[in-house]
Amino acid sequence: MSSTLKLEGKLFGGAMLFLTLCFGMTVYAVYKYGIDLPTCINNVEAFTKSEVIERAPKHYEIHYVARMWAFEPAVINVPPGSTLDIYLNSVDVTHGFQIAGTNANLMAVPGAVNYTQLTLNKVGEYKIVCHEYCGLSHHNMMATINVTENAAAANAAMESAQLAPSADEAEGAKLLESKACLSCHTINGSPLVGPTFKGVVGKEETLEDGSKVTVDDAYLAESIREPQLKLVKGFPPVMPKIPVTDEEIRKMIAYIKSLK
Amino acid sequence: MVVIQPALRKMILFQIIFPSVLLIFGIYQGLMQFIHRAGILRQVSFLGIEYYQGLTAHGVINAIVFTTFFAVAFGNALVPYFLGKEPSTKIVYLSGIMMALGTLLAAIVIFSGQASVLYTFYPPLQAHPLFYIGVALLVVGSWIAFYNWVPPYLEWRRKNLGKKTPLAIVGLFTTFLVWQIATLPVAYEVLVLLLPWSLGWTSTVNVVLARTLFWFFGHPLVYFWILPVYIMYYTMLPKVVGGKIYSDFAGRLAFLWLLVFSSPLGLHHQFTEPGIDSNWKMLHTILTFFVAVPSVMTAFVVAASMEYGARERGGKGLFSWWAKLPYFSKENWLFGYFFCGLVLFIFGGITGIVNASYSMNRVVHNTAWLPAHFHMTVAGPVLLSFIGMILHMTSTLTGKKIRFQPIHIWVPYIWMVGIFISSTGSFIGGLLGVPRRTNMGMTYLNPDSQLYRPEWVFSSKMAVYGGVLMVIAMIIYFIVLFGTLFSKQTAKPGLEFPVSEVYDDADYAVVRNFRPWILVAILAVIIAYTPPLYDIYKNQVKGSPAYAPSNPLPRAGS
Repeated sequence: MSSTLKLEGKLFGGAMLFLTLCFGMTVYAVYKYGIDLPTCINNVEAFTKSEVIERAPKHYEIHYVARMWAFEPAVINVPPGSTLDIYLNSVDVTHGFQIAGTNANLMAVPGAVNYTQLTLNKVGEYKIVCHEYCGLSHHNMMATINVTENAAAANAAMESAQLAPSADEAEGAKLLESKACLSCHTINGSPLVGPTFKGVVGKEETLEDGSKVTVDDAYLAESIREPQLKLVKGFPPVMPKIPVTDEEIRKMIAYIKSLK
Repeated sequence: MVVIQPALRKMILFQIIFPSVLLIFGIYQGLMQFIHRAGILRQVSFLGIEYYQGLTAHGVINAIVFTTFFAVAFGNALVPYFLGKEPSTKIVYLSGIMMALGTLLAAIVIFSGQASVLYTFYPPLQAHPLFYIGVALLVVGSWIAFYNWVPPYLEWRRKNLGKKTPLAIVGLFTTFLVWQIATLPVAYEVLVLLLPWSLGWTSTVNVVLARTLFWFFGHPLVYFWILPVYIMYYTMLPKVVGGKIYSDFAGRLAFLWLLVFSSPLGLHHQFTEPGIDSNWKMLHTILTFFVAVPSVMTAFVVAASMEYGARERGGKGLFSWWAKLPYFSKENWLFGYFFCGLVLFIFGGITGIVNASYSMNRVVHNTAWLPAHFHMTVAGPVLLSFIGMILHMTSTLTGKKIRFQPIHIWVPYIWMVGIFISSTGSFIGGLLGVPRRTNMGMTYLNPDSQLYRPEWVFSSKMAVYGGVLMVIAMIIYFIVLFGTLFSKQTAKPGLEFPVSEVYDDADYAVVRNFRPWILVAILAVIIAYTPPLYDIYKNQVKGSPAYAPSNPLPRAGS
């Protein structure tokens, strides 16, 4: 009996030593490399809008907002060697946030703000995906960080692409965002949960029942008021009725028409 | 052979066959996950079941329903077998019916598409109220089953003063004490936070609090899965290999240690989230390392018991005794189910230490690495031991011989290879950043999508090949199981388990009484969870309105 007890003691001690070693390395990583975990930030209100702030050359503060089903800002350009202070907030459900190929891995939990710091030295396209189930179109969430020598030129090109809009169009754009239309309808030409707004006006679409319709002001207005009435084939019947005035619809259509 | 009342016998049989039938669908949905994720299917749904709906069914059936039913059925069988006294049949039926009813309610809303919230049901995604009611009924039914075993246990102790409680019973009571401690916070989450909110009585829910309460339950849940396996590894496996339990004391200590350290460590699932101070995350890292100790102990004791058995069978040498184990024995076929689970558990355990290691966790958090890890535990030793024991119990409870012998011996080996292939694919994918729980065929693995990621194709395809092998193993298993169930009775029905003798039967007072260990377990939970819960309370996190998974706007009225 005593011989087995002695052996057990040795094995037990060995197991404890192994685990202590693993734990020791963890603590070493925290202090030596500063790889710490997110902690508590309570001031949610300051982080409900997406923002890119250049604090110093090659030092950016980025406020990411996660929503069903997109990240904002969708694309940013920074020069190599940039340090990013990333703040992450969700405005609806729980989302995930991982920049593939880096150690930036966060949860976006409504009601609290997450934070991590990251330095990107290598030139390339870093993709951000949502890795927590957040609803029907979870798999559509993606954002990009471009690390490029010509970050300033790339940013200027992105800005000039957004031409100065009319007052109606600008208000329409704001409405589409505030009513969450853009969660399902993109403005960049790729369909998401619903058809994209880009170039949709004047297009001939096939409906669920096989009939065809040319998208015009009347069809758009009707589809905003009664989303399930004339569904475009291949898209799920999930769009809710959203309370809007005729005036608001007119502005929204003005903006959609500008997306060519 | 222990003969039990027909009524009790039938209920135990129901409690192993009902979840096995559901498991057929759960496993089909598991394969569909792999196929959608590899981009072989590039669509929202297949045969009327939407991807995330199928994922919800896969998780709820395989991880919650199947495991809870088996643990209860196993207990209902172990109590009369080892204590010589049956639990009250009426209460066994009450608990069994509650659990089945709860499962059916949850199944109805899942299949009607009103509860596609996955088995973790994180708010503010909201399911139909019947989903929460169903889950609550299942859990409360299992509590009732547990308390029904206490009178036979106390009676046995009165009649056997000074004798050691059978090791299997120590393991069983540990299993359900862990379950009792762990299910209280999730009962609070479901009954106080989520159910009134889903009924529209409250308008918002504190998401940080709900997530913390869920993982307060979610990690001890995995010990609730593995503890019945430890019962089999300690008390039955040595008999199956023709040996003895190497150390009875180690078994008791492992169980009681797990009772203390299973619960106070749930924050290691929340390392990457805001709202919780990183100091408490470090505290839970340390506590997680403590809970690895009994598993390492078990590995040593089980290996020693197997070596003893192999040497009894003529095994020699430092390593060559391994060849003498009954890998493909027709009589001791349960060995294959135990052994393959053990092999998988080595890798499941080591990858688990990666997950629990504080900052290392961020490399793998919520990537495909995670399902690869827990399929080597819950779909490794847990599933294999459970289905092996279900086949064994079905045979003895009906007095029918196992049909189509000996093909069922191959089941665990095919399954093990399948898991190795699929998990290796997912481990690689996880390190490349492949997200878990995502219908990747729609976008990331669809060459027609703007979001296509070609570097993720190889590992995701690899997971499918493993998945196909796993399904082949399960098809063979179900043919044998139902072939046995519907064959002719050849013997008297009853309960029969392989029961091992003990090699080292030393007696230590410290492991002879549950009471001090229960007190320490409660104290550990209080120490580990008071600070983070106080923080969450103090921070006054803004409540979230409800969202349906299909709509980016909050539900009307909330």
